[in-house]
Amino acid sequence: MIMEKIAELFIILILVSVVLNVSSPFIKFAIKLYSFQSLMLAFYILMGAVHFNSINLYGSFVITVIFKVILIPYFLFKTLKKVKIDKEIDMYIGIPEAVVFAGSLTLLSNLIAQKIINTGITFGSFVFTISLATFLIGAMLMVTRKTLFSQIIGFLTIDNAIFLAANSITHGMPLLVELGVLFDLFVSILILSVLILNLRRNVAV
Amino acid sequence: MYELILILPAAALIVSIFADVLWMAYLQLAVSVLVFCAVVAIALSFNSITIFLGGFFFMDYINLVILITVSTLELFVAFYSFGYVRTEIAGGISKRKFKFYYFWKNLFVFSMMVSILSNNLGIYWTGLEATTLATALLVSFNRTKESFEATWKYVIMCSVGIAIGLFAIVILYFTTSQVYGESLKSLSFINIMHAGSKLDKNFLMLAFILALVGFGTKVGFAPMHNWLPDAHSQGPSPVSALLSGVLLNTALLGILRFYQINGAAGIYYPRYFLIGFGFFTILVSAFSIIKQTDYKRLFAFSSMENMGIIALGFGIGGIAVIGSLLQIFFHALNKGLLFLSSGNVLAVTHERKIEKIRNLSKNFPITGLVLLFGVMGISGMPPFAMFLGEIYIMTGVFRSNIILGFLVFILLIFIFIGLFGKILKMYAGNNDSDERADELQSENAAHPFMIYVPLILLLVSSLLLFYIPSQFLNIVKSASYEFGGKIIF
Repeated sequence: MIMEKIAELFIILILVSVVLNVSSPFIKFAIKLYSFQSLMLAFYILMGAVHFNSINLYGSFVITVIFKVILIPYFLFKTLKKVKIDKEIDMYIGIPEAVVFAGSLTLLSNLIAQKIINTGITFGSFVFTISLATFLIGAMLMVTRKTLFSQIIGFLTIDNAIFLAANSITHGMPLLVELGVLFDLFVSILILSVLILNLRRNVAV
Repeated sequence: MYELILILPAAALIVSIFADVLWMAYLQLAVSVLVFCAVVAIALSFNSITIFLGGFFFMDYINLVILITVSTLELFVAFYSFGYVRTEIAGGISKRKFKFYYFWKNLFVFSMMVSILSNNLGIYWTGLEATTLATALLVSFNRTKESFEATWKYVIMCSVGIAIGLFAIVILYFTTSQVYGESLKSLSFINIMHAGSKLDKNFLMLAFILALVGFGTKVGFAPMHNWLPDAHSQGPSPVSALLSGVLLNTALLGILRFYQINGAAGIYYPRYFLIGFGFFTILVSAFSIIKQTDYKRLFAFSSMENMGIIALGFGIGGIAVIGSLLQIFFHALNKGLLFLSSGNVLAVTHERKIEKIRNLSKNFPITGLVLLFGVMGISGMPPFAMFLGEIYIMTGVFRSNIILGFLVFILLIFIFIGLFGKILKMYAGNNDSDERADELQSENAAHPFMIYVPLILLLVSSLLLFYIPSQFLNIVKSASYEFGGKIIF
C-alpha cells in the first residue's frame, strides 16, 4: 500500500515536471526537467522491480538511468553550449494559455483512460491517465513552439510517456527490445544535435 | 543460407569504415550480387515458413516478396552507385564527402533487412527506426540549407510517427501477454498469429489504428506525408531510389503485420481504414503532382500515389491483393529506374527545376528515352510490368464498388497527365535560350554504368509483363492467401 503511494508520488512528479516545462521558456531548464522526469520514471520502474522482484525491471531501471538521465541530457547540454541560445523566442500561443491548455488535456486524458481501462493494470488506472496526459502535452509542446530544441524536448516527452504506458499496463517491455528502443532514441538525439549545429550556420535555430 | 542475407551487409558495413571509396565500390558490387544470389536461391527452394537465428527472425511468403524486391533493386543501385561515385568525384566533389556514403548505405540496407525478416515486433520497430537514422545523413548529403531542413523534418516526423507505432506495439504486448505471459514470446509474430481469436478484440483494433497512423507516417499516407517529397528529393539519386522503392514497403510491412493479426483474431473492419487512407493518399498526390515544378519531387509524389494504390489493394482483398503484391515489386523497379535516370540529368546539369531542362532528346538520347518510357511504365501503360499489378487492383476495386473504382480511375488519369506532360516537355521541348555549353552538358559526362543500368531496368520491367518466373508467381499467390485472396489463375 505504502509502495503504491510512493509510486504514485513519482508519477505525479512526472506530470508536474511536464507542466513546469510548458510554463517555462528556458531551454536549459527544460533539459534539466527532462532529466528529472526520466529519473522519476526510473524510480517508478525501480518500485515495480522491488514490488514484483523482477530482474527484467531491474535491468530496465539501469538502462533508463544510463540513457535517459545521463547520456541524452549530457549531449543536449553540449549542443546547447555550442548553439548559445537559452530562451525560447517564438511560441504560437502564450505561456498562460498553454498551461490552461495542458490542464484541460490532463482532464481529457482522464476521461479517455476511464473508458479504455479494464482490470489487470499494475498500479491502477492512475498511471495510464498520467502517461496519456504526458503524451498529449508533449505533442502540444512540439506543435506550439518553434525552436528546434523545444521540438526535441517534446519528442523526448512523448517517448517518456510511451515508456510509462509500457510500465503501467504491462511490467515493461522485454529487456532486449527496451535496449534497442533506447539505443535508437539515443542515436536519433545525436543525429538531431548534428542537424541543429548544421542548421545553425544557415538559419537562426 | 538465411543468415547470409543479414551477415553480408553487416560485413560490408564494417569494411566500409576502413576502405577507400573507390575500392569499396568494387566490394559493394560483390556483396550486392551475393545477397541477390542468396535471395534467389532461397526463393527457388522456399516452401514453408522458416525460423532462424534463435527464433528472432523468420521468413514467410509476405516478407519473401519484399525481400526479393529489396535485393533486386539493391543490385541495380549498387551498379549505379559505382558509376555515380566516380562521376561525382570526377566532377569535382571531394572524396572526403563520399567517405561515409557506403557506410550509411550499408547500415540502411542492413537495418531494412533486419526489420523485414524480424519475427519479433520489437526488433521490427528497432530496425525501422534505425533506417530513419541511417538515411538521415544520406538525405542531407548535399549539405545545403534545403537538405538540412528536409532532414530535420524527416527525422522528427518519422521518429514521432514511429513512436506512435511503439505505442501500438506496447498495447499489442499487453494484449498478448494475457495469453503467453510477459516474455519475448508475446511479441513473436508467429506466436501472436497462433493465439489469434483468444486476444482481446478492442485492444487489437486500437493497436491497429495506432500502427496505421504511426507506421503510416513512414509509408507516406496522406495527412502525414509532408516530409516525404522533401526527403526523397534531396538525397543522392541512388539513395532516393532505395528510399522510394523499398523503404516505404518496409514500413508498410508493419501495418500489414497488424492487419494480419487482426484478421487472425476475426476482426475485419480494419480494411476500411486501409481503403480510406489509400484513396485519400491517391487524391492528395494527384493534386500535388499537377502543380509540381521539381522533377525529383514529382517522382516522390508518384511513390506516394503508388503506396496509396497498394494500400487500397490490400484493403479491397481478393484479386486486388495479388495486384498489390505484384505492384510492390514492379513499382520498386520502375521507381528505381525513374530516380536513377533522372539522377543522370541532375548529376550532369545540377538543375532540379522542370522548366530549366529542355531538349533531353538531343543531349541525353538514352537517358531521356528511358525517362520517358519509365514515366509511361509508372502510369501503368501496357508494355510495362506495372500494368499487370494495376489491372488486378483496378479489377478488384471495380468489382467491390463501381463508384470508388471510377473515382480512382479518374485520379489515375490526372496523375498520368501530370507526369507525362511534364516529362514530355523535358524530353522534346525546345530550349528558348541559345545553345550555350551544350557540349559540356551531355550524357557523355556520366559514367557508362549510370546510363546503362536504368536502361537494363527498363528492359527487365517490360520483360516481366510477358514472362514472370513461375516460382515468383507461386510465392505471390501463397502470400495472398494470408490476406484471404484465393484466386485461381
